[in-house]
Amino acid sequence: MSTRRSLVVVLVVALVLPGVWPVAPPPPARAQAVDVFLNVTGGGARKLNIAVPDFTITTGADPIGAGKQLASVAGADLTFSGLFSVVAAQGAIPANSPEALRKSWTEFAAAGAHAGVHGLAALRGDRAEVEMRLYDLTTPDHRLIGTKKWELPTSQLRRLSHKVADEVVLQFTGELGIADTKIAYVVGPAGAKEIVMADYDGAAVTQVTKNGSINLMPVWSPDARSLAFTSYKQGYPDLYRAFPFERRPDQTLAAFVGINSSPAFSPDGKSLAMTLSKDGNPEVYVLNLANGTMRRLTRHAGIDTEPTWAPTGRQIAFISDRTGTPHVYVMDAEGASVRQVTSGGFHTQPRWSPRGDAIAYTQRAGAHDIWVVDVDGSNPRRLTSGGDNQGSTWAPSGRHLAFQSNRLGRWQIFAVLADGTAAAPITRGTTESTSPSWSPRLP
Amino acid sequence: MVSRCTCVTISSLLLLGVVLTGCAKRPATTAAAAPAPTGAATTTSGGAPAMAQPTTAAPSGTDTRGGTATPAPTTAAPTTRPEPSQFKPDPALKDVFFDFDKYDIRPSDAKVLDSNASWLKTNANHLILIEGHCDERGTNEYNLALGERRAKSTMNYLVSQGVQASRITIISYGEERPACTEKTEECWAKNRRAHFLVKPR
Repeated sequence: MSTRRSLVVVLVVALVLPGVWPVAPPPPARAQAVDVFLNVTGGGARKLNIAVPDFTITTGADPIGAGKQLASVAGADLTFSGLFSVVAAQGAIPANSPEALRKSWTEFAAAGAHAGVHGLAALRGDRAEVEMRLYDLTTPDHRLIGTKKWELPTSQLRRLSHKVADEVVLQFTGELGIADTKIAYVVGPAGAKEIVMADYDGAAVTQVTKNGSINLMPVWSPDARSLAFTSYKQGYPDLYRAFPFERRPDQTLAAFVGINSSPAFSPDGKSLAMTLSKDGNPEVYVLNLANGTMRRLTRHAGIDTEPTWAPTGRQIAFISDRTGTPHVYVMDAEGASVRQVTSGGFHTQPRWSPRGDAIAYTQRAGAHDIWVVDVDGSNPRRLTSGGDNQGSTWAPSGRHLAFQSNRLGRWQIFAVLADGTAAAPITRGTTESTSPSWSPRLP
Repeated sequence: MVSRCTCVTISSLLLLGVVLTGCAKRPATTAAAAPAPTGAATTTSGGAPAMAQPTTAAPSGTDTRGGTATPAPTTAAPTTRPEPSQFKPDPALKDVFFDFDKYDIRPSDAKVLDSNASWLKTNANHLILIEGHCDERGTNEYNLALGERRAKSTMNYLVSQGVQASRITIISYGEERPACTEKTEECWAKNRRAHFLVKPR
């Protein structure tokens, strides 16, 4: 058992460094004893090389190439995580052959792989079961780090890949990955906007609204089962809630005179902060979702809007232009203790990070860019450049954000690591894609 | 079977010290012109139906699935808002336009509003819908608020000219209904507008 966890320790050490990882894993006990195998790339990123051969089909025929697709999607997820380099591979490891497995891992290790994912898939008609076995290839006996199984409808094959990737991330970091999530966003030009959702990587797009009016600013509930959004489907900008995984009509959440917009679920899912202008100008209110009571939090002649909850649920950040220009403010969840966080510039779209220590926002200076600032107002840093970038949303891990950018022409959804590196498009649609909301991990 | 796709460097733990640092640049401090909070923000239009205080309804019974789902609160206003699609434009009523990020009525547009007000007083049987619009350059939510400010300052002007507040309903479309879709200043200027629609009572 002396080499047990050696590989785990390597990555944990890499991640415990400040600014990189949301939840600092326990410090390694024997870091000095570990040989380090690292793929040091130009940007200073330290990545683990991981082999993801095609999944082995253990039951059923595979006319659609599921074994190959499962590996390819899981490999892309691991690459996206920013933690791994996937070592290219072709062909699956034969089932029930310790000999073949040993030979494969030996070859992968020689090619530089530190870890190997052996996926096994049983295809039983409309159900598919996938098992993941994760191996440490830096140990002579290719130690088995962990295994896990899932079963889902065959139509959700991609989710099985995402679950494999998330489990690998968990094994190495102590926190689940974010591949098994959705991103909801708005498609269409001004005047004809509908809400859709896709896997976090932009695949498997499905329609959420289809009412022919204008639908804006979707936001996921903490249980990842519903989306609050603003729609003009009844003529005015009102707030609704859609249940995209159920056959269930939208709920009307707020339909007051004036603007009903900018929904933000409290972390416990029991309340919804929002902006209403029913009392004369945009103010932040909180709706108790259990009993329908509404509480007003802000009282100011300026615009107060775009509430976003701290993950503790005890504070709310919002935008106010009470000084004449919009900036980020923080108040407690009762509306007291208001404090200005940003100043200078023109700031909208605050989004409190899932880690709690930072708030992303959009700064206008000609074009827009996404910035992140510590909650105390210090250390503002720019995450984006090129084109116009706005509407950020945090991944549930706090390691990535998605946002809309027109740097490639029309608006598309992009993702970026929280340090501003590795920006890449998620959508490549032929229509404008805007206003992303990254879901919590799916149930 | 196995191909080497990346260069593997074997290094010591000490090389791990490269931290992914966020860029620590300060944001540029652009002193954006502060729109003077005019009467728009303090407007309350008394007994005007369009501005009536909504009540908070009890949880809705529309969720027929019941049971396990989250209770469905419907916080709906009383139906005092006229259906926007019932309003039509009238050639006598001209749009007014706004400077970038502003919502005050420009002197040249005040003349337009005087003319609109006079038509509206003559045609006193018409209800009025004022749409507030923005160009595409702001962020959505802020533009919704800005569009409402434009509609509201336009409404306030008409009321100051003797048009009954109770006849007027406002709606903000933010940047969602541009009159012109090119990405030019000329086009953006056409989109920063208040637009008038009417319907007979």
